[in-house]
Amino acid sequence: MTAISGTAIGKRAAAASSRTMLLAAFFVVEVAALGIFVPGWLTVDGLLDTSRIFIESGLLALGMTFVIITGGIDLSVASLLALVSVVIGFSHQAGLPLPVAMVLGIGTGVGCGLLNGAIVAYLGLHPLVVTLATMALFRGGAYVISNAAAYSEYPAWFTTIGGFYIGEVLPAQLPVFAVLCVLAWMILEKTPFGRRVYGLGENEQAVRFSGINVAHLKLKVYGLMGLLAALASIIETSRISTSRANMALGLELPVIAAVVLGGTKVTGGSGTIAGTLLGLLILSYLQDGLQFAGISSDWGLFITGALLVLGVLVNENAGRNRG
Amino acid sequence: MGQVLTSGSIDGPRPVTSESTRPDQGLEPTLGAVPVHPSAAAGQDSRVLCHMRGVGKRFSGVWACRGIDLTVLAGEVHAVIGENGAGKSTLMKLLHGVHAPEEGTIEIDGRALTFGSPRDAEAAGVAMIPQELDLFPDLSVCENLYVGRQRPRTRFGVFDWAAMRREARAVFAKLGIEIDVRAPVRSLSSASAQMVEIARALIRDARVVLMDEPTAALSQQEADRLFAIVRDLCARGVGVVYITHRLEEVFENADRVTVMRDGARVHTGPSRDLTTHSLVQMMVGRPLQKFFHRTARSPGAVALKVEGLTRRGAFEDVSFELRKGEIIGLAGLIGAGRSELAQAIFGIAAADSGTIAVDGRPVSIKNAATALGHGIAYLPEERRSQGLHLNFSSPWNIGFGNLGGLTRFGWVSPAQERRTANQYQSMFSIRGDMNKPVGGLSGGNQQKVLLSKLLFQKPDIIMLDEPTRGVDVGARAEIYRIIDELANAGKAILMISSELNEVLSMADRILVMYRGRLNGPYEGPDFSAQEIGFATAGVRVDGTEARP
Ligand SMILES: Nc1ncnc2c1ncn2[C@@H]1O[C@H](COP(=O)(O)OP(=O)(O)OP(=O)(O)O)[C@@H](O)[C@H]1O
Ligand SMILES: [Mg+2]
Repeated sequence: MTAISGTAIGKRAAAASSRTMLLAAFFVVEVAALGIFVPGWLTVDGLLDTSRIFIESGLLALGMTFVIITGGIDLSVASLLALVSVVIGFSHQAGLPLPVAMVLGIGTGVGCGLLNGAIVAYLGLHPLVVTLATMALFRGGAYVISNAAAYSEYPAWFTTIGGFYIGEVLPAQLPVFAVLCVLAWMILEKTPFGRRVYGLGENEQAVRFSGINVAHLKLKVYGLMGLLAALASIIETSRISTSRANMALGLELPVIAAVVLGGTKVTGGSGTIAGTLLGLLILSYLQDGLQFAGISSDWGLFITGALLVLGVLVNENAGRNRG
Repeated sequence: MGQVLTSGSIDGPRPVTSESTRPDQGLEPTLGAVPVHPSAAAGQDSRVLCHMRGVGKRFSGVWACRGIDLTVLAGEVHAVIGENGAGKSTLMKLLHGVHAPEEGTIEIDGRALTFGSPRDAEAAGVAMIPQELDLFPDLSVCENLYVGRQRPRTRFGVFDWAAMRREARAVFAKLGIEIDVRAPVRSLSSASAQMVEIARALIRDARVVLMDEPTAALSQQEADRLFAIVRDLCARGVGVVYITHRLEEVFENADRVTVMRDGARVHTGPSRDLTTHSLVQMMVGRPLQKFFHRTARSPGAVALKVEGLTRRGAFEDVSFELRKGEIIGLAGLIGAGRSELAQAIFGIAAADSGTIAVDGRPVSIKNAATALGHGIAYLPEERRSQGLHLNFSSPWNIGFGNLGGLTRFGWVSPAQERRTANQYQSMFSIRGDMNKPVGGLSGGNQQKVLLSKLLFQKPDIIMLDEPTRGVDVGARAEIYRIIDELANAGKAILMISSELNEVLSMADRILVMYRGRLNGPYEGPDFSAQEIGFATAGVRVDGTEARP
């Protein structure tokens, strides 16, 4: 009889951590290479400043990691980000005090997330189809509310949320993001909810037979995604101090890319927050470096795609070796 | 499932001692001079279809089986028995090319072969019906038969489905089974799915057929049917190797027996020289004290009362009362609606009408979460698809049904998880690496993990669906003891089992389900095996058909 160690997820955890190490190594090499070949890019200020941009997709990626681990997907996140921003902006324009408007925006985010979850859970439709529809729905809603106009009459206190620097270099949202990452990691790895998220992705039927309410679980996961989309929306709105219906257009792509590159399997049941974070850093700094070097953003997209193919291949092989 | 389940094809319920189950009868003429002594079979005999010499296989450094010699003779039924995790399935997988042996050789017809994959093994005439069936649920019966095999084509070069269906129907006709070859495998009962696996072996003209616990999921009648087919195969010179934990079967059906313990072969010899006692002694390494445990109890108040429960197409007008400290055995054939009934009570697929009351209060159970809230737990019959998360460790799985029980201040406590898993590991003597994914454990040990998961939910009303499926004798006795203890502690237990012996020996009362309707209760402790056996087939002892 063998002793039982720690949280005892065994081989799975070993595979996941070796993959995380691989990603970390890749990230270091990437930054070093960019530092060498793109003169002037590698500065502490520059690295920190770039975080202002990826934190928004980072927040979405945290939620997306949960969603994809359950075996789902949420294509509507970028649209929801725009909708929340527009709701805040135009309810403020209509005379609502800004804090109230922000609460309304967060409510919108959570509500729309729950809507996704409810359709998936209670109507049994595939999340891909559901969120493809709500992706259009939320974006359309943003256009209708804003009447295709922009709103940027934000007070100064609001714009510091996404524009304030601690000690002149550290963007204020970075520590907030770091705390949220740790929180997400703890929830996923150390709480009953996190366990159920993994379980749902690997074998939904067994979760049901374990006496767990699968519908409620899905509602929570998509609701959490909506909440994070609302937070990302507030930070972005503050950073650019504008609300527009075409904000974050196509942002769901890099978000999903970061999660998948980070080792989360699209078939569900495995994935880590650390992996997602590394996937996010790798993609964001690569794009930033290429942009800095004056290479066209089309190339950036191309390279993102190539990395993704690579990531998916590694995932597939990791799965095969296990069997 | 058609014919398999109709009452006409049944000779009679267990215990069957009639000549029809002795293998010698039909086989003697064709078998001719089958050597009964293993020493005579070693190597030179022309009837040796297959010879494994000193084979072994390791998983992460630990030998699952090692140094095993095994011969398969033409026309013999060769039973392989041993405790859970003894290495039986691994040995079969070596012969079927699933794993490559790390030591030793495999000879087929005297030629040493190495199989890179099951496809190679099948080309050499070795077919296997695995422990966990691996059919494609969404493909039709016919398509499944042809997976991985050359398909006939029409002269236009497209697949000739008509020809394939003809051939498939012919194979099933040969097996004496009525089955719609166009039906998706998903829609079949597990007994019928098993038959599809057998047909798959037949259609490949296999000369060595390996069956890994083929009877674990079958009721007596279906198992009898299977053995009739096995004897027919043997009469045509096929060698059949099969694994089982039901020792009576060995004496009724096998010519030779190989016993494995801890990855080694401890005995091979003719079954007629053995007794249950000597088999158990060799398997476990010590004599078994007591197999069934039943304490005399006086049941308490009604814990679960079901009235007029109906789900169209599954079961109809089911009423019964289950008391605290009582074990009710629910017997019946596979497909009779027993699992559907239990799952309706557990809230997986709600009934259309009828009422359920727990402790005298009517309850509405919409899903398994509410059922569990009322103290009802259910051990599912399909451990891999319904029970376990195969990629996660045993402790993870044991805790999953009751995460609240592992949680301290909102966090899952690793110490508590470890303690819980250790406790159940010693309670059920679970063998294998607990830190590895549970999918890597042997079938019987997976079942023990599933039972642990159920007990950790701390239920008051326990519904067990085939609780000892694939579990070895020693652990089985242990499970019976635990079930008995649970009843003594006042739990109300509904035990679904296709093994009549188990129901007869464990239950205080027996209900029999036949085509969705309940007969009984039959009051214990002295049940008439014959009466209940007949009832499962829908026949009264006096020969009249039971309702409906
Ligand atoms: N794919 C695998 N990965 C890791 N370990 C394995 C794997 N398959 C089998 N084992 C280990 O090898 C040992 C023998 O397993 P095997 O499945 O052959 O047992 P068995 O005799 O068939 O038991 P059972 O009666 O429970 O089916 C067990 O300890 C099991 O944990
Ligand atoms: Mg086995």
